[in-house]
Amino acid sequence: MRLINTDPELFELEQRVKHHAKAMNRSLPEMRFFILDRLEFASLLEKHVYPTSPSNIWEGKKMINKKLQIESGQESGIYYEVVQTGNPSYAYLNNTNSPMMQASVMAHVVGHCEFSELNVLKDSNMDRTEFIMHLVKKVDNGRFQMGEKNYLNFWNAAESIIPLISPHSQFNLNRSIEDDTHHGQETDSTVPEEKVKVLLRPFSHTMDTLLKTSSNEQIWQEELQKKTQQEQISRQGYRLFAPCQDILGFLKNYAPCSWSEKAILNYMYVTHSTHDFVVRTQIMNEGWAMYWEKKIMMELFKEKAVKGIIDYAKTFSGVCLPRPFFARNPYHLGYNLWTHIEQLYEKGKISLDYWEETDQQKKNDWDIKPSNRPIQELENLVKTVTDYEFLRRFLTPELIFKFHLNRIPKQQAKGMGINKNDIVKEDDHWSWIQPKMVKNEMLNFFTHFYRPRIYIIDNDFKDGGLLIFHRNDYRKLRKDWIRPTLANINFIWKSPVYLISGNTLYSYSNHKMDEIEVNEVSFDQVAEKLQNFEKPVIV
Amino acid sequence: MVEDKINSNESEGAFNDFIEDRIDEMVDEILNDGNFDHFGDRNSDIIVDANDIIPPTFTYGDEGGGQGQGPGQEGGGKIKFGVPYKRFMELIASKLRLPDLSKEGNGKIKEISYAYKTFGPTGILLDKKRTFKRALRTSIATGSYVPQEDKWDVEIRRKDRRFKIPERVENPKYKAVVFYMGDISYSTFGERLEMEKRLVNFIQSWLDFNYGTNNVEHRFIVHDMDAYEVQQDEFYQVSNIGGTKASIAFDLVYQLAFHDYSVSSTNFYAFYFGDGEVFGNDSKEITEILTESMCPVFNRIGITEVLPGRWSRLNQDLSKNFSHHPKVRLSKIQSNSQTIDVIKALFGEYK
Repeated sequence: MRLINTDPELFELEQRVKHHAKAMNRSLPEMRFFILDRLEFASLLEKHVYPTSPSNIWEGKKMINKKLQIESGQESGIYYEVVQTGNPSYAYLNNTNSPMMQASVMAHVVGHCEFSELNVLKDSNMDRTEFIMHLVKKVDNGRFQMGEKNYLNFWNAAESIIPLISPHSQFNLNRSIEDDTHHGQETDSTVPEEKVKVLLRPFSHTMDTLLKTSSNEQIWQEELQKKTQQEQISRQGYRLFAPCQDILGFLKNYAPCSWSEKAILNYMYVTHSTHDFVVRTQIMNEGWAMYWEKKIMMELFKEKAVKGIIDYAKTFSGVCLPRPFFARNPYHLGYNLWTHIEQLYEKGKISLDYWEETDQQKKNDWDIKPSNRPIQELENLVKTVTDYEFLRRFLTPELIFKFHLNRIPKQQAKGMGINKNDIVKEDDHWSWIQPKMVKNEMLNFFTHFYRPRIYIIDNDFKDGGLLIFHRNDYRKLRKDWIRPTLANINFIWKSPVYLISGNTLYSYSNHKMDEIEVNEVSFDQVAEKLQNFEKPVIV
Repeated sequence: MVEDKINSNESEGAFNDFIEDRIDEMVDEILNDGNFDHFGDRNSDIIVDANDIIPPTFTYGDEGGGQGQGPGQEGGGKIKFGVPYKRFMELIASKLRLPDLSKEGNGKIKEISYAYKTFGPTGILLDKKRTFKRALRTSIATGSYVPQEDKWDVEIRRKDRRFKIPERVENPKYKAVVFYMGDISYSTFGERLEMEKRLVNFIQSWLDFNYGTNNVEHRFIVHDMDAYEVQQDEFYQVSNIGGTKASIAFDLVYQLAFHDYSVSSTNFYAFYFGDGEVFGNDSKEITEILTESMCPVFNRIGITEVLPGRWSRLNQDLSKNFSHHPKVRLSKIQSNSQTIDVIKALFGEYK
């Protein structure tokens, strides 16, 4: 790994890219570029784009496999761009790429860094990479304290919970747990919520008493609830008032772990929590990066800082290849949506007047310059929405056709079991399906991300047990993985662990799993009971 | 930034340690169930096929369908890794606490011979055929041999002469010779044949590992009322129903050892497999051959009754003279799970 200034040509390109980004008024953090060789690149990716990581068998396995693939020519080891956003941001260039490719990577990174800075989910934070290096040191210290065997056992158990991170879920830690102290979390994921301004109301004690319709019974119940709440918090330090989907986050904060174990959980949480941001903003993010990449690259070609515009055009169109909705290409969809929205703003088509216009001819010919510059409007979008809202607002049926999102190879459409009524057009090779169906499917992705939705719903189930709930979506969990996963959670929680999936209650403690049939409860029932200070499930 | 080079060496090491443990477990498994099928070809890497490791988590089962659309799990199949043959045998040896056999005997003497493989312009032994060929070619070129013009002279010049040149060849004397004796008069098929094959396979691998593959000769003897040498494949195939006499096999082995090899520089091993049913004074004759002829020159003689029946008495008869003998080992095998016990009995050291 070497700094970009060790290569004069790349260093010059970096300066030009930064110059153009500045000229285009981009809000950028400090960006540091490094040059890596092929194996370093492979290793960096296995370390989740951080330069260091604690020792673990999973990274080792993947690296050995990758090395074999590279040696046998099955993998080229060429990656388009790898960046760890934050302030400073760290971007890594593959030393096997051509200068034109390196320039495009740097221009692309500009887009990502800015997006992380501006987006509503606030992915960017100070010294993220440095903070991870600090956490790695803590894990290494903990490893010596735990001993190699215990360390590996705990790490391997915690690997099971990595997919159960949801820092931006509707049921994240902030929205499901209250505690008596502010937790000095060594994480970056929490978004500071704006303080609600309490409006002053006219106060009259006599009137209040007269108007109060609550019965004594109700008042007593409310008092009792408050008392229970206070007691629970003072006993455990925290209380669940809604299902918690951020399971790793919960265990990191509340599992009875030693500081060494907490260091491992903390490292895992911080390194993986950004994935949630990526998956919720991938289309906007990649599209934004492609948009600025192209703009900056055009400037570089104009001033002849780089050569190879034809090659760049080929690479660009290769990256922005249209794909059907289920294999969506965020580069293609994102880039085209941003350029489309920009055009709409340029012609003033995103305005009340435009929507209220009833004459179609006038609408078609609409071209009224807006008061704000279109790019400002695009930035406002970045600052306020994520992919779900982005698609909901702007992905029209016409665009679905235009971007080929609903075009599926005929044979594949048959294999997918698509209803004939949902096919709107066919030719010899392709079937076009209902755009409405496509949009629904694409939006639904953001509710489950094709993963089972798992929540912690009770932290004191059957006297100290942890009760986990699988939200029913009419699909069963992989049966043979329930036991080892519960065993791993039990290893971390150190008390019995329970799982409700459908009408089965699985329990795991003392290396033994049992399952019993229970009455099925819905997620809404569970949430309501938690809100009412009741036990969500009683067996 | 502290790191100069990004690498995953430590994690790769952790994974390799994990795999080492897996191999250890696998060797334990092999030893527990006596299954030596992993051996494959001798001296080639042992390919270990293990279940892939993936951290389990809550995910959809197969019955839900649509798996391809989600962020699919990697692999789920098998991972393969190769274990060097030597390392594998070392593990087996350490687990079974088998002694290092290569210390035995004087096996480093090499046989020196001369082979005429190259030819040169000087020497003592003239190669007439080559010399004549060269002379003929030269004569054609110079025009002294033109049959159409009735010229028949073939001039042999000095340059045309070719001499045989001897080359010194060092052939290692066999460090070890192993004789396998099989009784073809009993029903050697099915389970019995498999057991015998496994034992022979292990003995071959073990001795090859100790002396080096090229330094061990394996010879196969079968007998009924008569004894004769066969190829390895035939050792498992030939069978005959009728009378049997094991002592003649032992006698043949001794004769072969004595006549075909230098007794002072070769490690001899002999292993007998049969149902143990012997007749007349066969046991007595075997005892005599073992005591007088074989024991003084053989390193190890193993006699194994494979699935012995109620009439089997070979081991019983021999145990009178050879129980706890340093060179002669007696064993029985009734099931695959006893393979390891037999190997320990054949090769282990008495404490």
